[in-house]
Amino acid sequence: MTPDYELLILGALLFSVGLATVIIKRNMIFVLMGIELLLNASVLNLVAFNRIHNDAPTGQVFGLFVIVIAVCEAAVGLAIVIQVYRFYQSSVPDQINDLKE
Amino acid sequence: MYANTIPPEMLINGILAALLLPLFSAIVCLIVREKYSWLVAFLSPLFLMVSAASSVYVCVEMWGAPPASFSFAWFLIGDQEMQISLLLNNTSALMMLVVTVVSFLVHVYSIGYMADDAAQRRYFCMLGLFTFSMLGIVATGNLLLLFMFWELVGFSSYMLIGHWYEKPEAADAARRAFIFNRVGDAGFVVGLMAVWSGYGTFNFIDIDPSAGGGWQVLAGIGIFCGVIGKSAQFPLFGWLPKAMEGPTPVSALIHAATMVAAGVYLLARVYWVFAPPVLTLIAIIGSITAIAGALAAMGQFDMKRILAYSTMSQLGLMVMAVGMGAPSAAMLHLVTHAFFKAGLFLAAGSVIHTLHQAQHHSHNSFDVQDIRNLGGLRKRLPLTFIAFVICGSALAGLPFFSGFLSKEAILEATLTWAGNTASWRWLLAGSAIVVAFITPLYTFRLIWKIFMNDERLTQKLNVVEAPVVMRFPLLILSVASLWPVVSFNPFDFNGWILHDLGGSSQHLFPWLSMASAAWIALAVALAYVRRSAGIHAPLFYEAFYFDKLIHRTVEVPTRMLALTTRHLDTKWIDGAIHTSAYAYTIVAHVVGWFDRFVIDGLVDGFAWSARTIGYSIRRFQRDGVQLYVFWALFAIIIFIIWTLL
Repeated sequence: MTPDYELLILGALLFSVGLATVIIKRNMIFVLMGIELLLNASVLNLVAFNRIHNDAPTGQVFGLFVIVIAVCEAAVGLAIVIQVYRFYQSSVPDQINDLKE
Repeated sequence: MYANTIPPEMLINGILAALLLPLFSAIVCLIVREKYSWLVAFLSPLFLMVSAASSVYVCVEMWGAPPASFSFAWFLIGDQEMQISLLLNNTSALMMLVVTVVSFLVHVYSIGYMADDAAQRRYFCMLGLFTFSMLGIVATGNLLLLFMFWELVGFSSYMLIGHWYEKPEAADAARRAFIFNRVGDAGFVVGLMAVWSGYGTFNFIDIDPSAGGGWQVLAGIGIFCGVIGKSAQFPLFGWLPKAMEGPTPVSALIHAATMVAAGVYLLARVYWVFAPPVLTLIAIIGSITAIAGALAAMGQFDMKRILAYSTMSQLGLMVMAVGMGAPSAAMLHLVTHAFFKAGLFLAAGSVIHTLHQAQHHSHNSFDVQDIRNLGGLRKRLPLTFIAFVICGSALAGLPFFSGFLSKEAILEATLTWAGNTASWRWLLAGSAIVVAFITPLYTFRLIWKIFMNDERLTQKLNVVEAPVVMRFPLLILSVASLWPVVSFNPFDFNGWILHDLGGSSQHLFPWLSMASAAWIALAVALAYVRRSAGIHAPLFYEAFYFDKLIHRTVEVPTRMLALTTRHLDTKWIDGAIHTSAYAYTIVAHVVGWFDRFVIDGLVDGFAWSARTIGYSIRRFQRDGVQLYVFWALFAIIIFIIWTLL
């Protein structure tokens, strides 16, 4: 097994941890953190595949884009969380259920 | 048969005034307010006075002139035109005069008699309507119209007899009069149908008796049925004595001019319609009534009932005269009878009224109408006494009074009819002679018991003569009971009236007037001899128990029948209806249950299942974003495993 596959396994692990965080954590900030982990896992994957198919730096460029988008996402997401917290005095998504029923 | 000529306009106005003023008076009485009810007692007699004056004018103008008739279209049935028509000849002009004059006098009298009555307006209103309806009967030339007025007379007499309807006897008497008249009128309606079938017209002028064929007999019997009811003839006389419960002026009106006279008048009016067998029936019924009435009058103690039965007896005589082919003699007796009987009733009313007033002041109560309680009133009520004697003499048929002449005319008709050979017809003639004998008996007894002898229960009462409005009509009616009303020769009934009514012009029995005068003198002598004898004759008192017989045989079974049908109606017919109603309710409940639980259940079931499925599916996206993500992930994992396998 080449070290590249280990990278892929690490990416999968990171993705699983992120996904578990997104699903399990009650607080929205932790969910956002889980999403960051997911994005980072995908970036790792992109870089790893770039190493395996070593012809052009496409994967690395994609990784850069994803990082930029992740930054934007974090900024927007945190802003939303803060606004939601101001309005509801809570950052737990399960408690924000005004639209239910 | 009547000829058809149009009278001059002035005469038409007079006729219409005489006819419509009583109706106008009735309407005025309806309109006048409670506050001004004193106006009624003033206005009604005034209208009637004008009406009486116009009918005097009409009678004078019409007398001896050819019959006048005028008519205008009323309505169409198919191509048959009904007409409102007036037909005036000597008979009806004379009758109109009698009706309006008597009615006017009764109106005047009522001012005094009904002065304290609370329902004066209703009384005068009905009096006006009564007079108007009778005038309608007299003047109309159409049998259908006549029938309508006939019914109006029945209705207004019902209202007047039951004027004091708080008294159960009065209400009962009014109902009885109405129902007895209805029974007779049922026959009248059959007669009307027969007339229409036989002749195709209701106009007197157009009826041709020879065209009727077999209908003629039926028509005659039918019309006579109406007469039996209205004129209190033999089977249907029970209402007349009972009708004495009404106010006495009303009794005077009923007995003299408006009610019972209508029957005899109708017989004379359509005399030519009656076929010979019907005429015989009429004569027989009349003679039975005359005898029964006279005998029943002998047994009464109530002064008004004596007069009532005497009216019945006199009406029987008139009807008999018509049946014997002498309608003009019947009309003559009707006219004279109208005056002296009205006089008698008003005099009796005056006695009752004054005694009631006296009783009222002394708080002493006894039945003032019972002649056993009375006596010796001639000094207290001299004018009433004189009027009573004059009118009573006319009733009894003493010479120099109108009744003598008219009764003689009837007797002559009877003897002519009976013929020279002995036959059953002599029975009827004999009954007329017997009635002529009995009449003075009860009249004498009545006058003697009230006015002669010593005073009994009235001794302590302060009796004063009635007011002048009550004395004035008595005076007029007394004068009208004297012989010149009929003829200027007190022993010759062939005077101006009978001649122009179309009666016989020669004396067939020259000895008759002397014989009848002697006969009546004999009766008066007998009455004087037996004056103190008390009469105890329950058979006569109860009018031969005929009323009770009718009660047993007709009224009780009718009542039973009514009760049975009511029972059937409530128990069975209503029961069936109720049962079906219950059945419907039960079926409706079952259907309702089915609807609610099966049909609605089906629909609800669909809704419920859709909702349940919806709920179960919605659960995946309901409990928060994270679970949603989890399920999405779960589904993806399943798909991946699916594709890998």
